[in-house]
Amino acid sequence: MDKTNAAFEPRIVAFLCRWCSYAGADLAGVSRLTYPANIVPMRVNCSGRVDTEMVLTALEKGADGVLIGGCHPGDCHYVSGNYKTRRRVVLLKQALSEVGIDPRRVHLEWISASEGIKFQSTMTSYTELIRELGPTPVRQRKEPVHG
Amino acid sequence: MAKAKIGIYWAAACGGCDCALLEVNEQILDVVAAADILLWPCAADPKYSDLRDYKNGEIDIVLFNGAIRTQENVELAQLIRTKTKYLVAFGSCAQSGGVIGLANQSSRNEIFSTVFGDQANWPQLDTNKNGHDLHLPEFLPRLTHLADVVEVDYVVPGCPPPKQVVSALFSALVAGELPATGTVFASSKNLCEECSREREQLKITQILRPHENDPDTEKCLLDQGFMCMGPATRGGCLAVCPAANMPCTGCAGPTAAIRDQGAAMLNTVASLIGTGEEGEDQLAAEDAILAQFDDIVGTFYRFGAATSIFKERYHERNATAR
Repeated sequence: MDKTNAAFEPRIVAFLCRWCSYAGADLAGVSRLTYPANIVPMRVNCSGRVDTEMVLTALEKGADGVLIGGCHPGDCHYVSGNYKTRRRVVLLKQALSEVGIDPRRVHLEWISASEGIKFQSTMTSYTELIRELGPTPVRQRKEPVHG
Repeated sequence: MAKAKIGIYWAAACGGCDCALLEVNEQILDVVAAADILLWPCAADPKYSDLRDYKNGEIDIVLFNGAIRTQENVELAQLIRTKTKYLVAFGSCAQSGGVIGLANQSSRNEIFSTVFGDQANWPQLDTNKNGHDLHLPEFLPRLTHLADVVEVDYVVPGCPPPKQVVSALFSALVAGELPATGTVFASSKNLCEECSREREQLKITQILRPHENDPDTEKCLLDQGFMCMGPATRGGCLAVCPAANMPCTGCAGPTAAIRDQGAAMLNTVASLIGTGEEGEDQLAAEDAILAQFDDIVGTFYRFGAATSIFKERYHERNATAR
């Protein structure tokens, strides 16, 4: 890790599906499991609700990483929302790669309502990964181009 | 009624927009009868001094085509803004950076070495040759669109704007009844509303490029696996490309409800891709279809890369990591 990252605290937006991952966060909470305060949780009705534009907007506004939490395959409350978001994330990661942004800044994880411990470990390891990647390059955009 | 005064200007453009003005055929005679053309570098020979000599707000309306690529483009856009009452972003480049917005995926140095080769041949801002000073306008680090530099009153989308859209603008101009500022001279709905192809909502199992197969002329191009931008693109052109068996490339930009055209298209395609069944056992097959994309920015951001949310290329060390 280089010196500029020493004081760096990642800001991570986590879109959590209300039926599984958000309930998993609740379980982590009532179980008194601690995880980094770098996560800003956003409750959505389904991981399939997470529009590509929402993820890009989070990155544009300065998020260093965006995590999407959904139900395990087969468990989606709306049958197939998590499959749709999985395909979306695959394409989005490729698009980010094409424009020179580390695709690991967007991450999809299946966390069920009973997986408080997985919620804790995912948030901890993802925060550490983003800390390693450093601040988002998007925030450092040079504006404006004209004189 | 006094004749209206109009101007037509090109910045970083290919010239296609100027030609598109004449696509309205004899309607151009109505325009010339109702208006004097004060500025049109493509057809007349005005000097910058002529433009500077006009009083502020003297020109009624200027159709500005082309993107903002050089410092000259910026200065002319600002000068024209002071001389005209209404400014129209005419065509994709003025609207959203257009196809040439993809240049933002390369740095200025990369562009210069591709175009001019060895650094010794790169253009210099200031040179002195035989006792004469020559100053070139700066090639800006990033290409942008008209509204990034000055306030824009109307937008005429398209690459180039299609006949009926240009015609609607001219009719409003000749009648002296311009709509409220902010109007986009095109449909508020997406292209699919105007397309006559039949949609079956089939799953996309294979990604095809136009040259790879002859599309069926009756069925939806997306159903057949061709990446047609219709769902995320503003209508108004009467879906001429799909009618000619070519997938929409998205030149009219996003509909009013969409901010990032490529993101919207990415959502659409991700929902359509599949084997026909959803399930954990299908994930590998889905990944094989998704892996067929090799240029998402060039496909879904063909006309909007410069005004997309990410706007340009970044340089993270592990951008190819997974």
